[in-house]
Amino acid sequence: MLDFFIFILLPVLSAAFCFFVKDLKTQYSISLIVALLHLGLSLLVFLGLYNTDLPTFFSTDSLSKLFLLILSNVYFWIVLVSYSYLKRPIIPKAEEAKKYYFLLLNFYLASNSAAILSNHFGMYWVAAEATTLSVSPLIYFYRNEEALEAMWKYLFLVSVGIAFAFIGILLLTLSAKGTPLEGEQLFYTTFIKNASQLNPIWLKASFIFIFVGLSTKIGIAPMHSGDVDATSNAPSPIAALMSGSLRLTALIGVMRIYQIIRPTSSSEFARTILIIGGLLSLFFVFVYMFKVKNFKRMLAYSSVEHLGLITLGLGIGGLAFVGALYHSIFNSITKIILFLMAGNIRHNYNTREVLKVRSVLNFMPKTGWLFMIAFLAISGIPPLGLFFSEIKIFEGILFSDKPYILALVMFFLLFIFINMGKAIFNMLYKNGDGEQQSYKSEKFEFSHFIAIALLILLTCIAVFSPNILFENIINIAKDFGIIL
Amino acid sequence: MENVLSILFCLSLFYVIVTSRVKAYVTVLQIQGVLLSVLLIIQVIHNFSVYGIILPITLLLVKVILIPRYINKVISELEIKRRIEPTIQQMILLPIVIVTMITIFIVSSILSKNTAMDVIPFASGFSSIVVGIYIIMFRKKLIVHVCGFLILENGIFLFGTAVASELPMLIELGVLLDVFVVVFLMGITLNRISSTFKGFEVSHLGRLKD
Amino acid sequence: MGIDILQGIISIIIILGLSPLFAGLVNKQKAILTGRIGAPILQPYYDLQKIFKKETINATSSSFISRISPLINLVTLVIAAAMLPVGFWKPLISFSGDIILFAYILGLARFFQILAAMDIGSSFEGMGAAREATFALFAEPIFFFTIGSISFISGFTSLFDIYHSIELTNISYGVFIIICSISVFMLAVSECSRMPVDDPNTHLELTMIHEVMILDNSGIDLFLYQYSSYIKLFIYAILEISFFYPFSQQSYLLGILIFITGSAALTFVLGVVETIISRSKMKNIPQYLLFATAIGILNLLIYTFTK
Repeated sequence: MLDFFIFILLPVLSAAFCFFVKDLKTQYSISLIVALLHLGLSLLVFLGLYNTDLPTFFSTDSLSKLFLLILSNVYFWIVLVSYSYLKRPIIPKAEEAKKYYFLLLNFYLASNSAAILSNHFGMYWVAAEATTLSVSPLIYFYRNEEALEAMWKYLFLVSVGIAFAFIGILLLTLSAKGTPLEGEQLFYTTFIKNASQLNPIWLKASFIFIFVGLSTKIGIAPMHSGDVDATSNAPSPIAALMSGSLRLTALIGVMRIYQIIRPTSSSEFARTILIIGGLLSLFFVFVYMFKVKNFKRMLAYSSVEHLGLITLGLGIGGLAFVGALYHSIFNSITKIILFLMAGNIRHNYNTREVLKVRSVLNFMPKTGWLFMIAFLAISGIPPLGLFFSEIKIFEGILFSDKPYILALVMFFLLFIFINMGKAIFNMLYKNGDGEQQSYKSEKFEFSHFIAIALLILLTCIAVFSPNILFENIINIAKDFGIIL
Repeated sequence: MENVLSILFCLSLFYVIVTSRVKAYVTVLQIQGVLLSVLLIIQVIHNFSVYGIILPITLLLVKVILIPRYINKVISELEIKRRIEPTIQQMILLPIVIVTMITIFIVSSILSKNTAMDVIPFASGFSSIVVGIYIIMFRKKLIVHVCGFLILENGIFLFGTAVASELPMLIELGVLLDVFVVVFLMGITLNRISSTFKGFEVSHLGRLKD
Repeated sequence: MGIDILQGIISIIIILGLSPLFAGLVNKQKAILTGRIGAPILQPYYDLQKIFKKETINATSSSFISRISPLINLVTLVIAAAMLPVGFWKPLISFSGDIILFAYILGLARFFQILAAMDIGSSFEGMGAAREATFALFAEPIFFFTIGSISFISGFTSLFDIYHSIELTNISYGVFIIICSISVFMLAVSECSRMPVDDPNTHLELTMIHEVMILDNSGIDLFLYQYSSYIKLFIYAILEISFFYPFSQQSYLLGILIFITGSAALTFVLGVVETIISRSKMKNIPQYLLFATAIGILNLLIYTFTK
């Protein structure tokens, strides 16, 4: 029961605590302790040193262990940086929002852990909707018009999308009619065991509804607009949280239904849908990158790109599947650095427009260099993590039954890299008109420390490639019935 | 008896399509809430348990009293005008809905040949989902969008009873709570939107573009 | 056989005799609900008597159509009345498929009225005729979808048989009938040019539909038009009331009781509706009519797929 207490109840209690205690520093320390405990326990669970004993509706398997670790990792760093972020002199309107910041963060952790650990589609739905609810007020942190609009669109679009996913869940019940599963509860485990007996028509319908519904939350094209608006207008830590963990929480729902559909005759159909979703996302990002105006929006689109790549990898199967799982880890870590550095730039220049940000390397060298490294990492430059996972995905595509997709993917990625690089290097190097070259020394901030730590972590995972991680991912692939 | 309630449910959908007043939407939401609770109560009567009565009562409380009251409060606080402001001619939507409904009924009756399910609640629930989406698509006022979302939710609920999916009580209550909090948050956001943008129509939301 | 014919003749006499009374009742109810004393219930009879005595003048530009149209109007409505079962009695004309004849004989009446209105050559009447024709286009499907759906379910195609197949003991059938009766009520409102489709009291040319077409008629012509419009209202009222007869137990006392209370209730409903609802905009009327059609379609759908 200790695990259930730490993963879900403790964040709720801490949220309640944050509701009553108004002092920001106390809230921060409590949240940090909770995050640390969460991280520690999920690490223990991941390493197999702690056997979970969760109540009904919850259970762990290789997939949820991995995703839980990603969540607590991202969450821990975000909470760590939050205090220094909140201490910045920001517009006075946001003072009001600070009061609820840690409360909502804790609530987010509780609902997100519940969604990842859930063993029941209904429970997953409730928890996933709760994550939307907890994160949407955080989007409206700056209390400005854009943020308000983004919050409304995110809340509305994702709520409707999740409602669609609920239809999919109901259709899954329907597919169990006339099989031994009829009248059974919607537990993943029982469904996966008896998947081959399910009615294929309803199973396909269920997959489409769940995929389309959750893709509003994952941010897969063409349902990505709400997600992109929210990520680009949220404060940087929240944007990192959304890109790094919330999208994966939604992805796990799609993966569960994919796991059910894998052994059945409809497997090919689901693969095709996932591949189309992934390619479409890459295409949308490819088009967008030609007209970048707002650098936070660019990063949000980059999340769409990488989630699209992950979906594509899941759909292709084989080695690409393994690559996609690695990719989700690396992407989540890199996104934190990118968003935190983008937040620093935004704070310093007080704009999100690419054209108004000039010679970052002169004015804020530390942020600038870290931003550049993170950009290189996200573009898949060795030895920074994403290179290895992307290579695995490409290899998987090449040796799959659809090798021609690789050409498309390479083409899209190349142009995304060029255009994104153009925008970022313009920001970093290009001098503004009539500006004198003044080399200011930038203060070493807490966010820089975190960025460096994360970069080291990223490289370590990629270079040393811990065996336990590899085994876990292979186990997930086995659970999905993927032959390597 | 489920068929009777479904017929009434469909009638409420037709009404919501032809009406041009915001308040009528709230009334329809209340009517649908009552219909759904009656549906649940009938099921409880068939195999009675004290435990089973909790859900209908909560449903009644949330969908008939709390949410409509809250929406009414938002409407009166923001002084939203009573016209719904359609984006297409009112006249066109009704034929579209009729055609959609006919299609849904025919398709679901074809599908029901393979699977055992109640065609009428199934098709009515699905029609309600589609009507909810139409309302979101073809109306300008944001508060009407919220009503459309709730009609969609009600449709899903009816749909759920048609496929006889019995989710555990805890999860059903969780769903209700989530829906309520969504509406609550949407209301707060609307409040902010009306004070920030001096309006509550979709046309005011056009700042975020690529 | 002889009894049947006798009953049929009595039915027609009841319809023809009581129809102005029904209209008077509606007006009285409406007056009371709006806080007026109102004209006496028998006022329609006095009106008819008054018009009957007046001289008939036809417009100089009018042709023979204007002269035969009022008569055709009354005759067709009497034929329609002869097809309608009053209570448990078999109507004078009854054969399988008579619902089609019933619908189109009413259509014929309308057709001649429109022709006559255009025949006069006044732009006013032409406008009214155009409106009447447009709305008739939307009103006709209502009849076919509601009565048609009941006939589809019961498997009969004669009004008499259809009504006799109704069983109110079956709950789902009961609700179905209630929904059909809503649809028929909406049809009646539009066909008899009551609110919210048309306002029988207004004489503002911009808003008139039915009344404008008979503006130029007088004397015996006006009498025929007026009388046939009373009959039309009563025909629809009976169409509506007949849903609620307990056809399974044929007790005359009960039948008469239901006839009287049904008519009274209907006048009350009409009165209330006309009091609380204002005439809707001209452009919203097709939507109103389409709504009634939608109900009919819904009935049809639900009954098709229940089995």
